[in-house]
Amino acid sequence: MRRRFLENLTLMSHSFERNRIWLGITILMAFLISIPFFASDYWVTLLVLILIYTVYAAGWNLFSGLTGYTNFGLAWFIGVGGYVSTLLIADYGFFWLFAWPIGALFTSIISIGVGYILLRIKGVYFAISMVALTEGTRELFGTEYLTPITHGGKGVPFVAGIRLPTLYWSILLLAFIAIIICYKITSSKFGLRLMAIREDEQAAETLGVHTTRDKIIAFILSAFFVGLAGAIHFTYQNYIDPTFAFNIQLTLTPIVMTLFGGVGTVFGPVIGATLFTFIHEILWAELTVLYMAIFGGILMVLVLFFPQGLLGWMKEKGIVPRIRKI
Amino acid sequence: MEPILKIDDVVKKFGEVVALDHCSFDIEPGSITGLIGPNGAGKTTLFNLITGVLQPDSGHIYLKGEEITGRKPYEVARKGVGRTYQIIRIFPKMTLLENLIVVGKGKERKVVERAMELLHLVKLFDKKDDYASDLSFGQQKLLSLAQVLMLDAELVLLDEPAAGINPTLQNELMALIHKLNDEGKTFIIVEHDMNVIMNHCQNAIALNYGQKIAEGSCSVIQQDERLLEHYFGR
Repeated sequence: MRRRFLENLTLMSHSFERNRIWLGITILMAFLISIPFFASDYWVTLLVLILIYTVYAAGWNLFSGLTGYTNFGLAWFIGVGGYVSTLLIADYGFFWLFAWPIGALFTSIISIGVGYILLRIKGVYFAISMVALTEGTRELFGTEYLTPITHGGKGVPFVAGIRLPTLYWSILLLAFIAIIICYKITSSKFGLRLMAIREDEQAAETLGVHTTRDKIIAFILSAFFVGLAGAIHFTYQNYIDPTFAFNIQLTLTPIVMTLFGGVGTVFGPVIGATLFTFIHEILWAELTVLYMAIFGGILMVLVLFFPQGLLGWMKEKGIVPRIRKI
Repeated sequence: MEPILKIDDVVKKFGEVVALDHCSFDIEPGSITGLIGPNGAGKTTLFNLITGVLQPDSGHIYLKGEEITGRKPYEVARKGVGRTYQIIRIFPKMTLLENLIVVGKGKERKVVERAMELLHLVKLFDKKDDYASDLSFGQQKLLSLAQVLMLDAELVLLDEPAAGINPTLQNELMALIHKLNDEGKTFIIVEHDMNVIMNHCQNAIALNYGQKIAEGSCSVIQQDERLLEHYFGR
């Protein structure tokens, strides 16, 4: 009798715990959804930027953080997704709701070919090839062959017929879905296989892991999310041109954010993107002249003392449970 | 009975160096065969060719009658061939449980159950949530073997399993191998420790400079003149 009572109590407290987490998530989401109703445009646009970079960082982390193949060509996904979507809206009158996913799909389909070729190359050379791809595509978009389609260096100023709150809710939804996918994958067998590729690719192969297939799947998923966020990003900017779209900064910033938050974790990119953007905003606003120097200083401290990122450090110290789910 | 593994006139060169020189032999199912020879004889290269890590320049390899020459490593693994490495290759920044789960195929719950079973078998269950890099050398060897068992491999290639571990652990390891052999698994063991070969293997194949120089039951091998000269140094 007493044992049954204690068992029931334990069961109840577990589901209590889980219900509390769900309650927390619901409250947070409700808060975030309601922001456009009470906050100024400044805050909404700041959050839009944070959310865009959260998806960039999470997308990068999903592939590079797990497989260990450092993707230095994130801007390529962003630029391709951005361009396809923008051109559909500006030149072909597509509605943004359709242009965005088409841009993302186009990016992920092409990434199959790119991945099939480039994922045979390992380590530094893979990283370099992705940079080369990005630089090459940027130049290509400005050449006379493609300019009729891409408008080349002139750029494409455009308006998508979307209000700020709607854009905000769209990117919020995308970020929410992206994080859930990252969560599901990181705690799945697929996620473990990707990590095994990072740990020892050949050993993984001789233990039955189809490394080529798994790498390409992760690559495509990354391409889709990043391409979609890119489409939204340039719609928000109301302008795109090759230098803007295939900019190395678009690759580096999400990587630094993920390093800051914790590579290979689920919430590392989220924490990184949020904190990073806030620090950037504060520094830039208060100390315009010195901010780059202080920024650089923070990065050095990061790399020297917290290479595993904030979340990684917290896991190590036991502040946060050391489980894959987070 | 059809051999579980057939090596047919296999040649492998690395530039000018002939690692395997028209090597041929059969492995009977359910046997424990020792693969011996000096360093550089071609033993690990042979393992690499069987598991698909390298492709032979000529010759064929058959597993249970089916040609596996040039197949990709993951295919060969899924067909029932597991191998361990001379220098232990487990997944350091993953937990023991994860190291095993990642190999498993099929329903998640079944895979986790099997992983726990195997951890009990190699007596590492209490460390299941520790990172593999936290294990001692000998424990890592056991984990590596458990990974191969997770594959449900019928043919197990062990590259110097007894090297660098204390005699007690060695005995435990060999006892485990015999237990698995009784259950039907075939083993090919590369070893330099002749005691291990003589006490635990039924047959042995000796390689030198990429050529098979002797083959047969262990008692025969022990008497072989050429081997005595080249390998045992008498």
